[in-house]
Amino acid sequence: MIYIIDHNDSFTHNVVHQFSSFSKVECDNFDKIDQKKINKAETIVFSPGPGAPKDYPVSSKIYKKYKGKKKIIGICLGFQQILYSEKAKIVGQNKIYHGFQSEVKVTSDNSLFKKKQKFKVGRYHSLKLKEPFNTNNFEITMRCAISNVAMAIENNKDKIYGFQFHPESFLTENGNLLIKKILSA
Amino acid sequence: MIKKNYLEKLKRTKKPFIIYKTKKGFDLYTNFSKKIILTNKNIYSFINKIKKNKSKNKNTDLYIGFFGYEILNNLVGIKLPNQKGLKFPKGIFYKPEKKIILKSKLNYKNEGLNNLSSDFKININKKSYNKIFNRFKEKIKSGKTYQIKICTKYLNKSKIDPVDFFCRLTKTNLSPESFLIKDKKFSIISCSPENLITKKGNYISTKPIAGTLKKTKKLNKIKALNFFNKNIKETKEHNMIVDMERNDLSKICKPGSVKIIKKKIVEEYKDLYHYVSLIAGKLKKHTSTLDIVKSMMPGGSVIGCPKISTLNLLNAQEKENRNIYTGSFGYIKFNGDMRFNIIIRAILNYKNYSEISVASGVVIDSNANHEFNENYIKAKALMDLYK
Repeated sequence: MIYIIDHNDSFTHNVVHQFSSFSKVECDNFDKIDQKKINKAETIVFSPGPGAPKDYPVSSKIYKKYKGKKKIIGICLGFQQILYSEKAKIVGQNKIYHGFQSEVKVTSDNSLFKKKQKFKVGRYHSLKLKEPFNTNNFEITMRCAISNVAMAIENNKDKIYGFQFHPESFLTENGNLLIKKILSA
Repeated sequence: MIKKNYLEKLKRTKKPFIIYKTKKGFDLYTNFSKKIILTNKNIYSFINKIKKNKSKNKNTDLYIGFFGYEILNNLVGIKLPNQKGLKFPKGIFYKPEKKIILKSKLNYKNEGLNNLSSDFKININKKSYNKIFNRFKEKIKSGKTYQIKICTKYLNKSKIDPVDFFCRLTKTNLSPESFLIKDKKFSIISCSPENLITKKGNYISTKPIAGTLKKTKKLNKIKALNFFNKNIKETKEHNMIVDMERNDLSKICKPGSVKIIKKKIVEEYKDLYHYVSLIAGKLKKHTSTLDIVKSMMPGGSVIGCPKISTLNLLNAQEKENRNIYTGSFGYIKFNGDMRFNIIIRAILNYKNYSEISVASGVVIDSNANHEFNENYIKAKALMDLYK
């Protein structure tokens, strides 16, 4: 079972439907977490949402508790949530992307995805990862083809994955394939 | 066959009635046997009981009316602060006993009543609008919202003949979700273009509009589509709404069933081009009417995104009640089928006051002057009726 933690977002149920094509999914809002469901889940997903990771201490706690024990996936705010819990800084950016389709490229040899592959994705983020970011076992594996901003992270040891863009958006090509690959990793 | 002066006669009886645009013409509902004024207490039992009514296989097996903005907030768990306003009911539904099909052109002669009115006053001047605009832009930069609609309201003192207003409006601005509610103590006249819910059996669809272009002689449909597609700001706003509406449908639909049926097309109206998408899905088994209302309302395209956080920002800002504005008008049939619009481009006439609310969106690359004027243009089409 996959447990999706909703940060009161208007895109979370797109995520729910996307993951539902691969496994059973349960979803609760971050202020109504069901401990029994978390215990049962093999995978925990942090949803997109408004604001910044620091606004959701509950999610940071859950991340730290289950890191290494369950597969963890973060999307947009959820991606930032993972990084923030790993002591990264999440900062504002000059150009803001809401409802924007842009190209990302795979930049790492160690990614589940093929290096140099490019594809179009949907983006909804005001904030970004401040670099340099160096933490054990984490690697930035995708970047914006134009601005080079970090777009995906992978930690294949602890099975932690995150996307700054939205795989569930209708603006993302091959979103289902991305999710399928990390779920079977 | 409906007689030519039907509307005049009906108006003289002083009976309340409702007119709702259909594909071919208009439906008129009257002889109301029940009138339910919604409160936070009775709304649940009202919605839940509709399906329990015994169907008499009549075309009046339905409740028709509206949900105001405040009660829709309350339904999704958001309380509004104390606001000023006309103290208009939060929602009203009627049970009609008579339905009449009217043809596409409404004939009506205003019988002597002069429409009296004072000048319209706006509740937010340009300076305060700019302030709010900049405050919301900061909220976008910090990620609290991605798109937010600032509402401005025009108010005047007026005594009007709502049937006359509605008939004139349908001549200049015939839009697919137009409606009129003519009750004893108030009236609502709207040329809403936007359908929020069409539900038949387990099929449900929504048709958000994000992007409007005024017609000129040089434009045609293809050029309008080119304009929208090339305009990055309009495209981003529209994309956001499409993903949000997919989300709202996904809450109540079977996984994998939510599809974009028409993606970013242009629809042509008398004076405008709209940038429109149509999204549909198949409802999960045992989805209740209340589930549908709570998932879809208030309609996202007139609020902003993400919905809950944006509603909270709006409510903290707005000092006056929106009343009907950005609520929904429509009907729920005894068999659970429904049709609802989003109440925009509407006049609420109550206690001899008319109010017209309008809103336009703030995204990261919006311009305050442009949006302020956009609001005025939207309101002007309705204010012109008072001339």
